[in-house]
Amino acid sequence: MKQSITLGQYLPGESFLHRLNPRFKLLSLALVLVTLFFVKTLGGMGLFLALLILFSILVRMPYSYLLRGLKPIFYIVIFTLIIYLFFTKGGAVLLRLGPITVEEAGVIQGAFVVGRLIALVLASILVTLTTTPLALTHGLEFFLTPLKLIRVPVAEITMIMTIALRFIPTLMEESRRLMLAQMARGADFETGNLFRKARNLTPLIVPLFVSAFRRADELAVAMEARGYRIGARRTRMREETVSWRDWVALAASGALLAAVIIAGI
Amino acid sequence: MSGSGKLGFWTKAAMIAAVYALLAIVLAPISYGMIQVRVAEALTILPYFTPAAIPGLFAGCMLANLYGGNGILDIVCGSLATLLAAYLTSRIKNRVLVPLPPVLINALVVGYVLHLVLGYSLYLTMLWVGAGQVAACYGLGYPLLLLLDKHHHLFN
Repeated sequence: MKQSITLGQYLPGESFLHRLNPRFKLLSLALVLVTLFFVKTLGGMGLFLALLILFSILVRMPYSYLLRGLKPIFYIVIFTLIIYLFFTKGGAVLLRLGPITVEEAGVIQGAFVVGRLIALVLASILVTLTTTPLALTHGLEFFLTPLKLIRVPVAEITMIMTIALRFIPTLMEESRRLMLAQMARGADFETGNLFRKARNLTPLIVPLFVSAFRRADELAVAMEARGYRIGARRTRMREETVSWRDWVALAASGALLAAVIIAGI
Repeated sequence: MSGSGKLGFWTKAAMIAAVYALLAIVLAPISYGMIQVRVAEALTILPYFTPAAIPGLFAGCMLANLYGGNGILDIVCGSLATLLAAYLTSRIKNRVLVPLPPVLINALVVGYVLHLVLGYSLYLTMLWVGAGQVAACYGLGYPLLLLLDKHHHLFN
Protein backbone atom coordinates (compact mmCIF):
# COMPACT_ATOMS: atom_id res chain seq x y z
CA MET A 1 0.00 0.00 0.00
CA LYS A 2 1.39 3.32 -1.01
CA GLN A 3 1.42 5.97 1.63
CA SER A 4 1.13 9.16 -0.32
CA ILE A 5 0.75 11.63 2.49
CA THR A 6 3.43 11.92 5.06
CA LEU A 7 1.51 12.05 8.23
CA GLY A 8 2.85 14.62 10.55
CA GLN A 9 6.12 16.37 10.21
CA TYR A 10 8.31 13.92 12.06
CA LEU A 11 11.93 14.00 11.03
CA PRO A 12 13.90 11.06 12.39
CA GLY A 13 16.98 12.15 14.26
CA GLU A 14 19.12 11.87 17.34
CA SER A 15 19.13 15.44 18.68
CA PHE A 16 18.46 16.15 22.35
CA LEU A 17 14.94 17.30 21.45
CA HIS A 18 14.28 13.96 19.78
CA ARG A 19 15.30 12.13 22.91
CA LEU A 20 13.06 14.01 25.31
CA ASN A 21 10.12 12.22 26.83
CA PRO A 22 6.99 13.41 24.95
CA ARG A 23 5.22 14.43 28.16
CA PHE A 24 8.11 16.58 29.25
CA LYS A 25 8.47 17.94 25.77
CA LEU A 26 4.83 19.00 25.61
CA LEU A 27 4.99 20.40 29.14
CA SER A 28 8.09 22.41 28.25
CA LEU A 29 6.37 23.61 25.07
CA ALA A 30 3.40 24.75 27.15
CA LEU A 31 5.75 26.70 29.43
CA VAL A 32 7.54 28.25 26.47
CA LEU A 33 4.23 29.34 24.96
CA VAL A 34 3.09 30.83 28.26
CA THR A 35 6.41 32.68 28.38
CA LEU A 36 5.71 34.00 24.91
CA PHE A 37 2.64 35.78 26.21
CA PHE A 38 4.66 37.43 28.96
CA VAL A 39 7.16 38.95 26.53
CA LYS A 40 6.24 42.63 26.28
CA THR A 41 8.86 44.33 24.12
CA LEU A 42 9.93 43.98 20.51
CA GLY A 43 13.52 43.37 21.64
CA GLY A 44 12.36 40.56 23.92
CA MET A 45 10.40 39.02 21.07
CA GLY A 46 13.47 39.25 18.87
CA LEU A 47 15.56 37.43 21.49
CA PHE A 48 12.87 34.81 21.81
CA LEU A 49 12.75 34.23 18.06
CA ALA A 50 16.56 34.06 17.93
CA LEU A 51 16.47 31.37 20.62
CA LEU A 52 13.92 29.33 18.66
CA ILE A 53 15.92 29.72 15.46
CA LEU A 54 19.00 28.52 17.32
CA PHE A 55 17.05 25.42 18.37
CA SER A 56 15.89 24.87 14.78
CA ILE A 57 19.49 24.91 13.64
CA LEU A 58 20.51 22.55 16.42
CA VAL A 59 17.91 19.95 15.45
CA ARG A 60 18.83 20.50 11.78
CA MET A 61 15.36 21.54 10.70
CA PRO A 62 15.27 21.58 6.87
CA TYR A 63 14.30 24.85 5.23
CA SER A 64 11.34 23.25 3.48
CA TYR A 65 9.81 22.19 6.83
CA LEU A 66 9.96 25.70 8.10
CA LEU A 67 8.33 27.09 4.95
CA ARG A 68 5.63 24.41 5.00
CA GLY A 69 4.92 25.15 8.62
CA LEU A 70 4.69 28.88 8.09
CA LYS A 71 2.62 28.69 4.92
CA PRO A 72 -0.72 28.31 6.71
CA ILE A 73 -0.23 31.56 8.58
CA PHE A 74 1.06 33.50 5.56
CA TYR A 75 -2.21 35.34 4.90
CA ILE A 76 -2.78 35.99 8.57
CA VAL A 77 0.69 37.54 8.78
CA ILE A 78 0.08 39.78 5.74
CA PHE A 79 -3.36 40.82 6.96
CA THR A 80 -2.04 41.53 10.46
CA LEU A 81 0.83 43.61 9.12
CA ILE A 82 -1.52 45.69 6.97
CA ILE A 83 -3.94 46.27 9.86
CA TYR A 84 -1.18 47.31 12.26
CA LEU A 85 0.84 49.36 9.78
CA PHE A 86 -2.04 51.51 8.64
CA PHE A 87 -4.39 51.61 11.59
CA THR A 88 -2.17 51.88 14.64
CA LYS A 89 -1.15 55.46 15.23
CA GLY A 90 1.50 57.01 17.43
CA GLY A 91 5.12 58.13 17.32
CA ALA A 92 6.92 59.54 14.32
CA VAL A 93 5.36 59.42 10.86
CA LEU A 94 7.53 57.11 8.77
CA LEU A 95 5.65 57.17 5.49
CA ARG A 96 2.96 59.41 4.06
CA LEU A 97 0.79 58.41 1.08
CA GLY A 98 -1.78 61.14 0.75
CA PRO A 99 -4.15 60.81 3.71
CA ILE A 100 -2.66 57.48 4.77
CA THR A 101 0.29 57.41 7.13
CA VAL A 102 2.46 54.68 8.51
CA GLU A 103 3.57 55.57 12.01
CA GLU A 104 6.22 54.23 14.34
CA ALA A 105 3.84 52.58 16.81
CA GLY A 106 2.18 50.66 13.97
CA VAL A 107 5.47 49.27 12.73
CA ILE A 108 6.58 48.25 16.22
CA GLN A 109 3.28 46.63 17.21
CA GLY A 110 2.86 44.94 13.83
CA ALA A 111 6.35 43.44 14.04
CA PHE A 112 5.68 42.38 17.62
CA VAL A 113 2.42 40.53 16.88
CA VAL A 114 3.82 38.89 13.74
CA GLY A 115 6.95 37.88 15.69
CA ARG A 116 4.75 36.28 18.35
CA LEU A 117 2.75 34.41 15.74
CA ILE A 118 5.87 33.08 14.05
CA ALA A 119 7.39 32.12 17.41
CA LEU A 120 4.19 30.27 18.31
CA VAL A 121 4.28 28.25 15.12
CA LEU A 122 8.04 27.71 15.20
CA ALA A 123 7.91 26.35 18.78
CA SER A 124 5.15 23.94 17.79
CA ILE A 125 7.00 22.80 14.68
CA LEU A 126 10.06 22.07 16.81
CA VAL A 127 7.96 19.63 18.82
CA THR A 128 6.10 17.93 15.96
CA LEU A 129 9.36 17.70 14.03
CA THR A 130 11.12 15.79 16.79
CA THR A 131 8.28 13.59 18.06
CA THR A 132 6.58 10.69 16.28
CA PRO A 133 2.80 11.04 15.94
CA LEU A 134 2.37 8.03 18.21
CA ALA A 135 4.59 9.49 20.93
CA LEU A 136 2.71 12.80 20.61
CA THR A 137 -0.55 10.98 21.16
CA HIS A 138 0.83 9.30 24.27
CA GLY A 139 2.12 12.64 25.49
CA LEU A 140 -1.30 14.20 24.96
CA GLU A 141 -2.94 11.50 27.05
CA PHE A 142 -1.15 12.91 30.06
CA PHE A 143 -2.56 16.38 29.40
CA LEU A 144 -6.06 15.05 28.98
CA THR A 145 -5.94 13.34 32.38
CA PRO A 146 -7.75 16.22 34.17
CA LEU A 147 -10.73 15.52 31.90
CA LYS A 148 -11.20 12.25 33.77
CA LEU A 149 -12.72 14.37 36.52
CA ILE A 150 -15.68 15.15 34.30
CA ARG A 151 -15.81 11.46 33.32
CA VAL A 152 -14.27 11.83 29.89
CA PRO A 153 -12.83 8.39 29.01
CA VAL A 154 -9.29 9.58 28.34
CA ALA A 155 -7.66 6.17 27.85
CA GLU A 156 -10.20 5.23 25.19
CA ILE A 157 -9.82 8.55 23.44
CA THR A 158 -6.07 8.07 23.20
CA MET A 159 -6.69 4.55 21.95
CA ILE A 160 -8.93 5.78 19.14
CA MET A 161 -6.41 8.48 18.24
CA THR A 162 -3.81 5.76 17.80
CA ILE A 163 -6.19 3.69 15.69
CA ALA A 164 -7.17 6.72 13.64
CA LEU A 165 -3.50 7.46 12.95
CA ARG A 166 -3.09 3.94 11.67
CA PHE A 167 -6.19 4.15 9.46
CA ILE A 168 -5.78 7.59 7.89
CA PRO A 169 -3.57 6.24 5.06
CA THR A 170 -5.93 3.28 4.59
CA LEU A 171 -8.98 5.51 4.30
CA MET A 172 -7.05 7.86 2.06
CA GLU A 173 -6.36 4.99 -0.32
CA GLU A 174 -9.98 3.88 -0.01
CA SER A 175 -11.33 7.32 -0.87
CA ARG A 176 -9.07 7.51 -3.88
CA ARG A 177 -10.41 4.17 -5.09
CA LEU A 178 -14.00 5.27 -4.50
CA MET A 179 -13.29 8.50 -6.34
CA LEU A 180 -12.06 6.60 -9.41
CA ALA A 181 -15.04 4.25 -9.23
CA GLN A 182 -17.50 7.16 -9.06
CA MET A 183 -15.70 9.05 -11.81
CA ALA A 184 -16.07 5.98 -14.02
CA ARG A 185 -19.81 6.35 -13.35
CA GLY A 186 -19.74 10.00 -14.38
CA ALA A 187 -19.26 11.77 -11.05
CA ASP A 188 -17.52 15.11 -11.30
CA PHE A 189 -14.95 16.06 -8.68
CA GLU A 190 -12.97 18.60 -10.65
CA THR A 191 -15.11 21.53 -11.75
CA GLY A 192 -16.90 24.32 -9.92
CA ASN A 193 -16.04 26.55 -7.02
CA LEU A 194 -15.13 25.41 -3.54
CA PHE A 195 -18.67 24.71 -2.40
CA ARG A 196 -19.64 22.96 -5.60
CA LYS A 197 -16.58 20.78 -5.29
CA ALA A 198 -17.28 20.02 -1.67
CA ARG A 199 -20.90 19.15 -2.44
CA ASN A 200 -19.79 16.91 -5.25
CA LEU A 201 -17.97 14.88 -2.64
CA THR A 202 -21.27 13.41 -1.43
CA PRO A 203 -21.13 10.30 -3.67
CA LEU A 204 -17.82 9.74 -1.92
CA ILE A 205 -18.86 10.34 1.67
CA VAL A 206 -21.60 7.72 1.98
CA PRO A 207 -19.58 4.78 0.60
CA LEU A 208 -16.57 5.98 2.61
CA PHE A 209 -18.58 5.75 5.81
CA VAL A 210 -19.97 2.36 4.80
CA SER A 211 -16.46 1.02 4.32
CA ALA A 212 -15.03 2.77 7.38
CA PHE A 213 -17.75 1.40 9.65
CA ARG A 214 -17.32 -2.08 8.22
CA ARG A 215 -13.65 -1.83 9.11
CA ALA A 216 -14.63 -0.62 12.56
CA ASP A 217 -16.74 -3.73 13.11
CA GLU A 218 -13.98 -6.03 11.90
CA LEU A 219 -11.44 -4.25 14.04
CA ALA A 220 -13.63 -4.57 17.14
CA VAL A 221 -13.96 -8.31 16.56
CA ALA A 222 -10.23 -8.66 16.01
CA MET A 223 -9.42 -6.70 19.15
CA GLU A 224 -11.86 -8.66 21.24
CA ALA A 225 -10.46 -11.93 19.92
CA ARG A 226 -7.03 -10.80 21.10
CA GLY A 227 -8.29 -10.08 24.56
CA TYR A 228 -8.68 -6.31 24.45
CA ARG A 229 -11.13 -5.22 27.13
CA ILE A 230 -12.40 -1.69 27.59
CA GLY A 231 -11.33 -0.28 30.94
CA ALA A 232 -8.78 -3.01 31.69
CA ARG A 233 -5.32 -1.95 32.87
CA ARG A 234 -2.94 -1.92 29.96
CA THR A 235 0.77 -1.88 29.43
CA ARG A 236 2.62 -0.38 26.49
CA MET A 237 4.85 -2.12 24.02
CA ARG A 238 7.42 0.62 24.57
CA GLU A 239 7.43 2.23 27.97
CA GLU A 240 8.64 5.80 27.93
CA THR A 241 11.41 6.52 30.38
CA VAL A 242 12.18 9.78 32.14
CA SER A 243 15.83 10.82 32.27
CA TRP A 244 17.77 13.74 33.65
CA ARG A 245 17.49 15.42 30.24
CA ASP A 246 13.75 15.72 30.66
CA TRP A 247 14.08 17.44 34.03
CA VAL A 248 16.73 19.77 32.62
CA ALA A 249 14.46 20.74 29.72
CA LEU A 250 11.55 21.38 32.05
CA ALA A 251 13.70 23.38 34.48
CA ALA A 252 15.15 25.43 31.61
CA SER A 253 11.67 26.28 30.31
CA GLY A 254 10.59 27.26 33.80
CA ALA A 255 13.71 29.39 34.23
CA LEU A 256 12.98 31.09 30.92
CA LEU A 257 9.49 31.99 32.09
CA ALA A 258 10.84 33.33 35.40
CA ALA A 259 13.57 35.30 33.62
CA VAL A 260 11.12 36.94 31.24
CA ILE A 261 8.76 37.89 34.06
CA ILE A 262 11.55 39.26 36.29
CA ALA A 263 13.41 41.10 33.52
CA GLY A 264 10.11 42.43 32.16
CA ILE A 265 11.30 42.37 28.56
CA MET B 1 -21.26 -9.51 15.29
CA SER B 2 -19.87 -8.29 18.57
CA GLY B 3 -18.61 -5.25 16.69
CA SER B 4 -21.82 -3.56 17.74
CA GLY B 5 -20.80 -3.87 21.41
CA LYS B 6 -18.84 -1.51 23.59
CA LEU B 7 -15.61 -1.96 21.68
CA GLY B 8 -17.51 -1.44 18.43
CA PHE B 9 -18.56 1.95 19.70
CA TRP B 10 -14.93 2.97 20.14
CA THR B 11 -13.67 1.56 16.85
CA LYS B 12 -16.50 3.40 15.10
CA ALA B 13 -15.39 6.55 16.91
CA ALA B 14 -11.83 5.87 15.72
CA MET B 15 -12.98 5.70 12.10
CA ILE B 16 -14.89 8.97 12.45
CA ALA B 17 -11.71 10.49 13.90
CA ALA B 18 -9.72 9.16 10.95
CA VAL B 19 -12.19 10.57 8.40
CA TYR B 20 -12.21 13.96 10.14
CA ALA B 21 -8.42 14.13 10.31
CA LEU B 22 -8.17 12.93 6.72
CA LEU B 23 -10.51 15.66 5.45
CA ALA B 24 -8.81 18.32 7.56
CA ILE B 25 -5.30 17.35 6.49
CA VAL B 26 -5.97 16.65 2.80
CA LEU B 27 -8.05 19.80 2.36
CA ALA B 28 -5.58 21.77 4.45
CA PRO B 29 -5.23 24.79 2.14
CA ILE B 30 -8.84 25.71 2.82
CA SER B 31 -8.69 24.66 6.44
CA TYR B 32 -5.99 26.90 7.73
CA GLY B 33 -6.04 29.87 5.40
CA MET B 34 -7.26 33.36 5.99
CA ILE B 35 -10.94 32.50 6.30
CA GLN B 36 -10.99 29.22 8.07
CA VAL B 37 -13.38 27.00 6.20
CA ARG B 38 -12.38 23.64 7.50
CA VAL B 39 -14.38 21.30 5.30
CA ALA B 40 -13.99 18.56 7.91
CA GLU B 41 -16.19 20.66 10.20
CA ALA B 42 -19.11 19.50 8.06
CA LEU B 43 -18.78 16.22 9.97
CA THR B 44 -19.76 17.98 13.20
CA ILE B 45 -23.35 16.99 12.39
CA LEU B 46 -22.49 13.32 13.00
CA PRO B 47 -23.36 13.28 16.74
CA TYR B 48 -26.97 13.67 15.57
CA PHE B 49 -26.73 10.12 14.24
CA THR B 50 -24.41 8.38 16.67
CA PRO B 51 -22.90 9.24 20.07
CA ALA B 52 -19.68 7.55 18.87
CA ALA B 53 -19.09 10.76 16.94
CA ILE B 54 -18.54 12.74 20.16
CA PRO B 55 -15.17 11.14 21.07
CA GLY B 56 -14.54 10.58 17.37
CA LEU B 57 -14.69 14.25 16.43
CA PHE B 58 -12.69 15.21 19.52
CA ALA B 59 -9.89 12.78 18.67
CA GLY B 60 -9.99 13.67 14.97
CA CYS B 61 -9.82 17.36 15.70
CA MET B 62 -6.89 16.84 18.04
CA LEU B 63 -5.02 14.86 15.38
CA ALA B 64 -5.79 17.45 12.72
CA ASN B 65 -4.66 20.28 14.98
CA LEU B 66 -1.43 18.46 15.80
CA TYR B 67 -0.56 18.93 12.14
CA GLY B 68 -2.30 22.24 11.60
CA GLY B 69 0.72 24.21 12.65
CA ASN B 70 -1.31 26.65 14.73
CA GLY B 71 0.28 25.56 17.94
CA ILE B 72 -0.69 23.97 21.19
CA LEU B 73 -3.36 26.57 21.94
CA ASP B 74 -5.27 25.33 18.94
CA ILE B 75 -4.71 21.69 19.90
CA VAL B 76 -6.08 22.17 23.38
CA CYS B 77 -8.73 24.90 23.00
CA GLY B 78 -9.91 24.03 19.50
CA SER B 79 -10.31 20.37 20.35
CA LEU B 80 -12.09 21.03 23.63
CA ALA B 81 -14.44 23.37 21.77
CA THR B 82 -15.16 20.58 19.32
CA LEU B 83 -15.81 18.16 22.18
CA LEU B 84 -18.29 20.50 23.84
CA ALA B 85 -19.99 21.30 20.54
CA ALA B 86 -20.25 17.61 19.65
CA TYR B 87 -21.85 16.84 23.00
CA LEU B 88 -24.40 19.62 22.56
CA THR B 89 -25.11 18.50 19.00
CA SER B 90 -25.90 15.00 20.21
CA ARG B 91 -28.66 16.42 22.43
CA ILE B 92 -30.40 18.30 19.62
CA LYS B 93 -33.33 16.68 17.90
CA ASN B 94 -34.34 19.48 15.54
CA ARG B 95 -32.41 18.99 12.30
CA VAL B 96 -32.15 22.68 11.43
CA LEU B 97 -30.47 23.42 14.76
CA VAL B 98 -27.97 20.55 14.56
CA PRO B 99 -25.15 22.56 12.94
CA LEU B 100 -25.60 25.41 15.42
CA PRO B 101 -23.43 24.30 18.41
CA PRO B 102 -20.18 23.98 16.42
CA VAL B 103 -20.78 27.44 14.94
CA LEU B 104 -21.42 29.13 18.27
CA ILE B 105 -18.90 27.29 20.44
CA ASN B 106 -16.06 27.61 17.95
CA ALA B 107 -16.79 31.28 17.29
CA LEU B 108 -16.60 31.90 21.03
CA VAL B 109 -13.62 29.72 21.96
CA VAL B 110 -11.44 29.86 18.84
CA GLY B 111 -12.39 33.51 18.36
CA TYR B 112 -11.14 34.24 21.85
CA VAL B 113 -7.88 32.35 21.24
CA LEU B 114 -7.25 34.27 18.01
CA HIS B 115 -8.04 37.49 19.83
CA LEU B 116 -5.32 36.61 22.37
CA VAL B 117 -2.76 35.63 19.76
CA LEU B 118 -3.34 38.28 17.12
CA GLY B 119 -4.60 41.12 19.27
CA TYR B 120 -7.55 41.98 16.98
CA SER B 121 -10.81 43.01 18.56
CA LEU B 122 -12.74 40.10 20.01
CA TYR B 123 -15.83 40.79 17.87
CA LEU B 124 -13.75 40.71 14.70
CA THR B 125 -12.14 37.35 15.46
CA MET B 126 -15.43 35.83 16.61
CA LEU B 127 -17.15 36.97 13.43
CA TRP B 128 -14.22 35.73 11.39
CA VAL B 129 -14.28 32.22 12.87
CA GLY B 130 -18.09 32.19 12.94
CA ALA B 131 -18.32 32.99 9.22
CA GLY B 132 -16.04 30.09 8.36
CA GLN B 133 -18.01 27.80 10.63
CA VAL B 134 -21.36 28.83 9.14
CA ALA B 135 -19.95 28.05 5.70
CA ALA B 136 -18.70 24.63 6.81
CA CYS B 137 -21.52 23.60 9.13
CA TYR B 138 -24.55 25.04 7.32
CA GLY B 139 -23.13 25.23 3.80
CA LEU B 140 -21.69 21.71 3.81
CA GLY B 141 -22.75 20.01 7.04
CA TYR B 142 -26.48 20.57 6.66
CA PRO B 143 -26.67 19.03 3.15
CA LEU B 144 -24.61 16.14 4.52
CA LEU B 145 -27.09 15.77 7.37
CA LEU B 146 -30.01 15.57 4.93
CA LEU B 147 -28.10 13.08 2.81
CA LEU B 148 -27.08 10.83 5.69
CA ASP B 149 -30.59 10.97 7.13
CA LYS B 150 -31.65 8.93 4.12
CA HIS B 151 -29.02 6.34 5.05
CA HIS B 152 -29.84 6.22 8.72
CA HIS B 153 -29.22 2.47 8.90
CA LEU B 154 -25.50 3.18 8.38
CA PHE B 155 -25.14 4.25 11.96
CA ASN B 156 -27.05 1.46 13.68
